[in-house]
Amino acid sequence: MSSNSIIVEQLSKTYQVPEREGGFSAAVRGFFKRKYKDVKAVQEVNFTIAQGEIVGFLGPNGAGKTTTLKMLSGLLHPTGGNATVLGYTPWELKPDYLRSMTLVMGQRNRLSWDIPAADSFLLNQAIYRIPDDEYKETYKELDELLELDPLMKKPVRNLSLGERMKCEIAAGLLHRPKVLFLDEPTIGLDITGQVRIREFLREYNKRTGATILLTSHYMADVTALCERIIIIHQGQLKYDGGITDLSHKIAPFKLIGVRLSDADSHDLSGYGTQVQNEEDADKKYIQVKAEDVTRVTSRLLADLPIHDITITDPPIEDVIEQAFNQ
Amino acid sequence: MFLIFQRLWQVNWAEQWQYRANLLMYLLYWLVSPIIYLAVWTSIANANGDVKGFTANDFITYYMVLLIVDQATSNIVIHTFGYKIQDGTLSGELIKPIHPMLTNALVNNVAFKALTIMGLIPVWIILFFLFKPDFSGVALSGILIAIPAMILGFLISYLISATITALAFWTTRVYSIHEFYFALILLFSGQFVPLTLMPPIIQNIAQYLPFQLFIYYPIQLILGKLSVDQIIQGYVMAGIWLVVSFLLFTWVWRAGVKRFSAVGA
Amino acid sequence: MQTLKLLSSFLKVNIQMSLAYRADTVVNILLNFMWLGWELLSLNIIFSNTTSLGGWGLGELIALLGVFRLVNTMMMALIWPNTEKFNQSIRDGSMDYTILQPINSMFLVTFSRITVWRIWDLILAIVLIVVGINMSGDTTTAASILAFFLLTISGVIVIYSLWIVLIALTFWFTKFDNNVTILHALLDAGRYPATVYPVWLRMIVTFIIPVAVATTIPLQALRGDLNINQIILFFGVGVLSFWIATKVWKRGLKQYSGASS
Repeated sequence: MSSNSIIVEQLSKTYQVPEREGGFSAAVRGFFKRKYKDVKAVQEVNFTIAQGEIVGFLGPNGAGKTTTLKMLSGLLHPTGGNATVLGYTPWELKPDYLRSMTLVMGQRNRLSWDIPAADSFLLNQAIYRIPDDEYKETYKELDELLELDPLMKKPVRNLSLGERMKCEIAAGLLHRPKVLFLDEPTIGLDITGQVRIREFLREYNKRTGATILLTSHYMADVTALCERIIIIHQGQLKYDGGITDLSHKIAPFKLIGVRLSDADSHDLSGYGTQVQNEEDADKKYIQVKAEDVTRVTSRLLADLPIHDITITDPPIEDVIEQAFNQ
Repeated sequence: MFLIFQRLWQVNWAEQWQYRANLLMYLLYWLVSPIIYLAVWTSIANANGDVKGFTANDFITYYMVLLIVDQATSNIVIHTFGYKIQDGTLSGELIKPIHPMLTNALVNNVAFKALTIMGLIPVWIILFFLFKPDFSGVALSGILIAIPAMILGFLISYLISATITALAFWTTRVYSIHEFYFALILLFSGQFVPLTLMPPIIQNIAQYLPFQLFIYYPIQLILGKLSVDQIIQGYVMAGIWLVVSFLLFTWVWRAGVKRFSAVGA
Repeated sequence: MQTLKLLSSFLKVNIQMSLAYRADTVVNILLNFMWLGWELLSLNIIFSNTTSLGGWGLGELIALLGVFRLVNTMMMALIWPNTEKFNQSIRDGSMDYTILQPINSMFLVTFSRITVWRIWDLILAIVLIVVGINMSGDTTTAASILAFFLLTISGVIVIYSLWIVLIALTFWFTKFDNNVTILHALLDAGRYPATVYPVWLRMIVTFIIPVAVATTIPLQALRGDLNINQIILFFGVGVLSFWIATKVWKRGLKQYSGASS
């Protein structure tokens, strides 16, 4: 067995979407002869992920993230290319494969609303054929990390969003999957909730050596958890590599922030591109190429009455934004 | 006032038109039991010559007319309004200067009816050729005299259903109550069989209840089976029940709204 | 064995759920009794005006009511609640989770909701069948009872298979919320012997929405009205329809995953 748990080769998915025109006669015509439009959701994507890695999967809405996750979990058949997860072809939906992975989607419910989570857990135990002692052990471990016990006896509908998400994730992990596909696991949660889930995932990965591929809108999730990110845009792979390398490769820029004694009277546009920063309004920021930083800084210090100067990397959100726009 | 109803009609017609596919399914669902009863009773009449004077054709004409009358007098207010009370969306309607159940929901039901009757016409024509009823006993005067009776029947049935719907202010189980009410209709309205074939005790009770005004009475008017005395008696009963059901509804509705605003749902 | 264990897990979860709504359960049982009362009353009204309906007497119609309620119990306890769950899972996307579970998805879709108290309705149905047959004075033999059992099971499977096909159509036509209305609507036709219906209606309830196959035909077998070839034929129809249903279901899943296009 190779150490790569996920291998994706030239994976593509093209949807055929019926084209609809408005109006009654168009509807009648469409009934007899439908026109289809090809939508290329994923185009020849390649990557491999080693066992135990946590990888962030990023891209704007509609970039093909969820489609890729669905193909990797086996829900969707690709229209081209291939993928292997733990040595299985996902869309064959072999029970052994399904027992060794999990897909958690932040916006979908797995647990029944009317009954306490504990009962749904027991049902999952039966479905995944988890032996009693193993189930108890896994539950104990999950409870330690997520503090599930107080939530288990209440009907799921009475739980808060954060509590429910904890239970949803735990329900997906009872069978100790080796691969986790997480689609927006922290969506809608408040900051504390996000941090809890994040810490849990890191700890879970450390303890079990599970591979995690996650998508998230919250950049903090990604920066806190993933050393590596994959960026996909309009179905195509845009970047695959370390999160720290990203800014060097995509946006080799630094931000220079200066506080001036009389801010309004000086024009900084001669030194670099001026950028806005709402959080720190009394400071002015300019963006310069990494190799120019020393030169520009010394010019600034020489020319202007500067109280304070800082040099930082641009925020990761902006860098990724730039990567999308390339 | 007229303008309000005109606008309400436009809105509700458009809304029901959106649901026309569901509506056809509802029509299909609703059609089956009268056709089964028709088949059962004509088969009995054919086997025995007649059933207490009812020939096979009497049954066929009865149920063919029933299809129209039932569609004209029945309502679906429990399904279109009950949930609004339960999930609190009623608040938005209560602050409008018109009565939610006596204007908007009423017009909505009429729009629903207009569409189902449109859907019913082709089905009715097909059934006409399948069962070949002999309508030679039906006169125009009977149909004309039945029209106000059907309107009264609809209004009474609507007000009673609206009263049951308003019970949703107190209980979450209005659908169960409605199921019970539905069984009462089946028993006393003449939906299962012409009332004269029911056991005498049921016939006796039925003549004082409003349910026969929804089905049996208008059908008999159309088929021209009633004497002048019976016609007058029916209209008097309808008048009494209209007043009673209106008073009952306004009383329950007021108490319910008071409770609704007190609970602040 | 594994299947039984799963079924008992489903039962446990569903008992939990019905306990959460126990007042509703009590009300539903009362309503169920009310409808039984109405059904018996309507038979009484029919037979106060005639001695036979489609060649059958009161006893046979009570037995038929029993068979009908047997089928109806399956619909009420499994089919309707699971249809609701299925349509919901298509709408909100939780169907994805159903497919990703390591057991047969058709099994999962059939048994994930069970209206537990309905099971007692089965006992009531059997009482009606036994009482009805005794009243009718028909002679039953061990062979006819066996044929009755086989054909009841096969009839139930035919209806079940039709249901699977109808909900599987949702995989092709995603906005097909009314997938089971036609089945729901025509089910009531099973209350009376198919022989009383006009030919076109008899055709529909025998071949298109085969309610009669699950109600009239098993009872005909119990009375000894069917010969051995007919019995084998109707049993074969049950097996065949189940086979077709599993095929359609698999094709539906393929459609859902985009494998068929």
